[in-house]
Formats: sequence, structure tokens, C-alpha cells
Amino acid sequence: MAKDVDFVKVDGSSFGYFAIIAILAFFTAAGLIAHALDRAYHLSDLSNRVPWGIVNAGIPYFIGLSAGSLIVSALSGVFKIERFKAFSRIAAFFAAAYIVAAIMSIVFDIGKLYHFANAVIYFNPTSIFSWNAFFYTSYFVICALYLLAQFEEMERLTRFFACLAVFWAVLVHSGTGAIYSFMYPRELYHSALTPPMFIVCAITSGLGLLIATLYFTFRFTNREIEPKLLRELGLIFAGLTAVLGYMLAVEALEKGYIPAVAPATQFVYLNPYHGIFWSFWLLVVFGIIIPFLIVVYPRTGFDPRFLSLAGILHAAMVMSERFFLIVPGQVYPSEYLPGYEVESLHTLEGYIVSYTPTIFEWLQVIGLLSGVFLAFVVAAKLLPLIPERVVMEK
Amino acid sequence: MISRRRFLLLLGASAAMAMMPLQISAKSVKSEAKRRWAMVADIEKCTECMKELIQKTGNKEIKPPCVVACDKENNVPDFEEKAIDPQWIRIAKFKNKFGEEFYAPLLCNHCEHPPCAQVCLTQATFKRSDGIVEVDMHRCIGCRYCMIACPYGSRSYNFRDPREGLKEVNPKVVMRTKGVVEKCTFCVHRVDEAIEKGVEPEPACVEACRINGKNSLVFGDINDPNSKISKILRESIVIQLRSELGTDPHVYYLPKR
Repeated sequence: MAKDVDFVKVDGSSFGYFAIIAILAFFTAAGLIAHALDRAYHLSDLSNRVPWGIVNAGIPYFIGLSAGSLIVSALSGVFKIERFKAFSRIAAFFAAAYIVAAIMSIVFDIGKLYHFANAVIYFNPTSIFSWNAFFYTSYFVICALYLLAQFEEMERLTRFFACLAVFWAVLVHSGTGAIYSFMYPRELYHSALTPPMFIVCAITSGLGLLIATLYFTFRFTNREIEPKLLRELGLIFAGLTAVLGYMLAVEALEKGYIPAVAPATQFVYLNPYHGIFWSFWLLVVFGIIIPFLIVVYPRTGFDPRFLSLAGILHAAMVMSERFFLIVPGQVYPSEYLPGYEVESLHTLEGYIVSYTPTIFEWLQVIGLLSGVFLAFVVAAKLLPLIPERVVMEK
Repeated sequence: MISRRRFLLLLGASAAMAMMPLQISAKSVKSEAKRRWAMVADIEKCTECMKELIQKTGNKEIKPPCVVACDKENNVPDFEEKAIDPQWIRIAKFKNKFGEEFYAPLLCNHCEHPPCAQVCLTQATFKRSDGIVEVDMHRCIGCRYCMIACPYGSRSYNFRDPREGLKEVNPKVVMRTKGVVEKCTFCVHRVDEAIEKGVEPEPACVEACRINGKNSLVFGDINDPNSKISKILRESIVIQLRSELGTDPHVYYLPKR
């Protein structure tokens, strides 16, 4: 059992603090400028064959981080694990911030900004995205209320919101997975495994980034954190990373088994001349195998620095997973008439096309991620988010 | 504390706002429930037309009269970059196992169960009661979900302002802007105008094909048993693209006989 946790605001007057703010603000601004330029001059590599790129991938990426962070945060509330209470506020804050980043990804991605309100005004019950517009906004409200209940130290209300938030996080993230996986016209999208895989991936990426955030936050604010607690989080992280690897393997093998999809599957998994191949294998090697080994190997698995490295590696590679989810189904041509090769004379249909995200697209995603951390650094000074010290009783 | 009067006012205003969308929806366009528009493309005639054109011009990517007419009629811009050039109708080359080549047009299939309308989060894409699938440009937020959902690659996104790629503008057709998705409408403006006048409608591509002397494209109402299209569908085996998806596309292909 942990001792009672005292949450204390950070001082925030050091040079280091302002330096971090300046760096994060710079990248956030760079993201906004990149977006403005992209919107004005079409500086992305998107085309009519690949209309969804990495800015779109930012939507499930940030929602994943949010859902994962929240599920972890709620562990203390739902399962009454007292020692996890120490980071429940940080994680809940990140959950709210990431969902804002996810909504901002949608804002960045859509073509008609001043039609955006239509997404809320009009509702299409058969559109999963339409349901998600409702889920995302309500999810943010639930996250905010959950955080508020924690600030007010209202135990029963916190527990209620923790349960509701976990349920909503699963709903929101399954819904996001379904946006892609219910796309029956594209064989490489269509999979019933995607929504549950999204949940697992959300927890691993949210947890991975949380471990690193906790470690660096406590280190920079000269506060004490029990390495065993990070180790515990690391073990949950490693276990679920293995589950994610298992699900990816099942999906790949199942798709490869279908003769109609086999050429596409071979192209995706075994063709090193295309970026898609690398997005998948980078995820497997650097996002799953190496982080898993770091945690289970005794010499690194107890060291918070290595645990943080494993978390960051995995969270970064989950972006690769999102790329892998969204792009292959677009670059590989659809078969319009079985048994016949099709080539369009006037468009790029029938051809394998390329999609290489430009620096302007990357900056938009990096800018949003920086924005989340900028909000956290500022909030740590204004709100009691971080515990004074987190130690376990002997 | 909010007063009762103010509360009622707010409630009334909210209810009025909730009803607003119904009034400004493009769905209020007058349509005929009894009709079901569809198209048939004769692959043999299309192939003959394309082979002749390619031989004559030496251009393997030549746009046949149907495509040119569609572009002109519907203000479809012409950009050099193929990746972002919008196309409402385009010609595809089909090659069989023996290396034999066939040509046929690809366009919006105006499905009975259109996945694009199913996924559109604002209902900007919708199916009229006469089967024509349309996009309300004032509702479209440009999320491109419909492009991912369309099994036939029939949708184009306006990465650039279409006016930049137009030499002249047909005022009868709604002009799109940058940031929305567009596609073939079966020349809905012509259909509505013809119905009002009591004559048979003819989309621009079908008209061009007829004037060109090929008569490969046939457009009509499949609910009318006496229409030419009904006769073809009744008497022949026709192909629907990706019919296994259950979208029931309404552009049919008549195979080479």
C-alpha cells in the first residue's frame, strides 16, 4: 500500500522549465504553420488514390493514447489499486489533452473547415464516424469531470467517473477502430480484429508514454518515485505488447490464407521496396520485440530509464501501426472485375501508388503531440497534478 | 439562477435550431419515386471506339467524346497532375489472361446500397428516391470517408480550386470549391429538367456517345418495362462491378458477344 499521496503544483520558475515551454511552443507553432501552409497550397502527398494520410492517422493515434492513458489512470479507481492513485491525475489529464489533439487532427484533416459544425449538427446513424463525433466530445467532458472529481477529492464520485470513463474509452476507441475496419470495400481494411486490437494498442501506447512521462516528470521536478511502481506498469505494458503482437500475427496469417487477398498481403508484408513493408516490420521489431525484451530482461527491466525507452519506442512505433492500418488499403489497387487486370487511362486506378508523408504532414502530427505536452507542462504549474513523492511502504 | 422564461426561450430556440437542417437540406430536391435510373455500357462498342481513337491519334490516354462531354458539362477541371485531377468518368483498360484488351468507362455506380452514403457523417452524400446518389456541397466537410468507402474509386477530392482548371463554366451545374468531394451525378440537372419537360433524359456522356455514332452508353429508367435499358437488362447477361459486395451497382456492363 502506498502512503497518502500529496499532489503539489510544480514551482515553474527555473530556466529549465521555461526552456521546455519554449521548445514545446516552438514545435506546436511549427505544426500550426505547417497546417496553414498545407491547407493553402496542398503540400501533403495525398492524392485521389490516397486521400487519408498521416494527419488522419493522427486521429486514432491520439485517441489511442488518450484511451490508454485513461484506462491506466482509472485502474486505481475501478479496481481500487491504491498505489496507482499516484499517477491517476496525470494520466487523466493526458487523456483529456490527447482527445483534444485527436479532435484537432480531424480539424486539420478535413477539407472544409467552416463546414465542420455540420459534423455535430447533422447525424447519420449508419456512419460510424458520425457516432464517434458524439463519442469524442462526450468523452472529453467525462475526462474533465473525472479530473475535477479527483481535484475535489470526492472519492465516490471519482470512482463513478473512473468506471464511466473506462467504459467510454473502450467505446470511443472501438468506434475509432471500426471507422477503418468496417470498410468492407477494401480487403486490407476489413477486419473484425481491429477494434479489440485498438484497445490493446491504446493501453500499450498510453502506458508506454505514461511510464516515460512519469519518469522524466519526477526526475525534472526532483521528486521521488518508486522504481517498483514503474516496474509494475512495465510488466502490464510488456504483457499487452505481446498480445498485440499475437493479434497482428493472426490477422496477417488469416489475410494471407485467402487466395483473393494473398497478392495484396504479400505486397504488404514481404515487399521491402515499399514503405508499407517497413512500417509493419519497424513496428514488430522496434515497437513490440525490443520493448518486450527490455522489460523482461532483468538487467534492464528494473531500470526506469530503460523502461522509459521501451515505452517511448513502442509509442512512437504505434504511429507506424496506424500508418500500416490506413495506407496499404489505399495504395494497393482494388480488383474491379475478378480475373481481369484493370488500368485506368485517366487516373491512377489499377496501379500500386506511393504515399510518402511530407515534412508538412509530419510537422502537423508532431505539433499536436507537442501541444499536448505543452498543456501538461503549463498545467503542472497551475494544477496539483504531480505527487510530492511516490514511495511504497516497507 | 436561470429564470423560467429564459429557460423556455432557450428551449424554443434549441428546438428551432434542431429543425433548421431539414429546411436547408438538398434532399428537398423534387424527385420521382417511381423511377430508377441506370446505365448500360457496351464493352464491345467502347473497345471499338477507343481502339479507333488511339490508332488515329497515337495517344494511349486519349479522352473519348463521352469523357470530354462530361468534363465540359459538369465543370470537371483538368489538371496535369493525374494524382489530384478530378474525374467523373474515366476509361479503364481491362486485360484478360490471354492479353486481350477491352475498354470500358468507370463512373459512379449509383448503387442501391451506396457505401458512400452509409458512411457520410453529415449525410452530405445521399441517395434520391430515383436512385441517383448526390453530394450536397454545402454539407460536405471534406473528410474523404466516402472516398475510402467507395468500391469503385469514383470519387474525387478537390485538392485545388476547380475553377483553376476550367476554361469555361457551365452555369447550370453547381460549382464546387476546394476541399469537398465530387463525383458523377448522372447529369442530375439534365434529368430533372427533362422530367419537368416530359421528355427522356440523356446525360452528357450518353449524348456524346450517340452523336459519335457508337451508341455504347444507354441510360434510362429500369422501372419502365418499355425503356431501352430495361429491354437490354431483361434479354442479356450483364456484369456489375464488385457485385459480391452487395451494393447493387446500377451501371451495368454488356460483355463482348
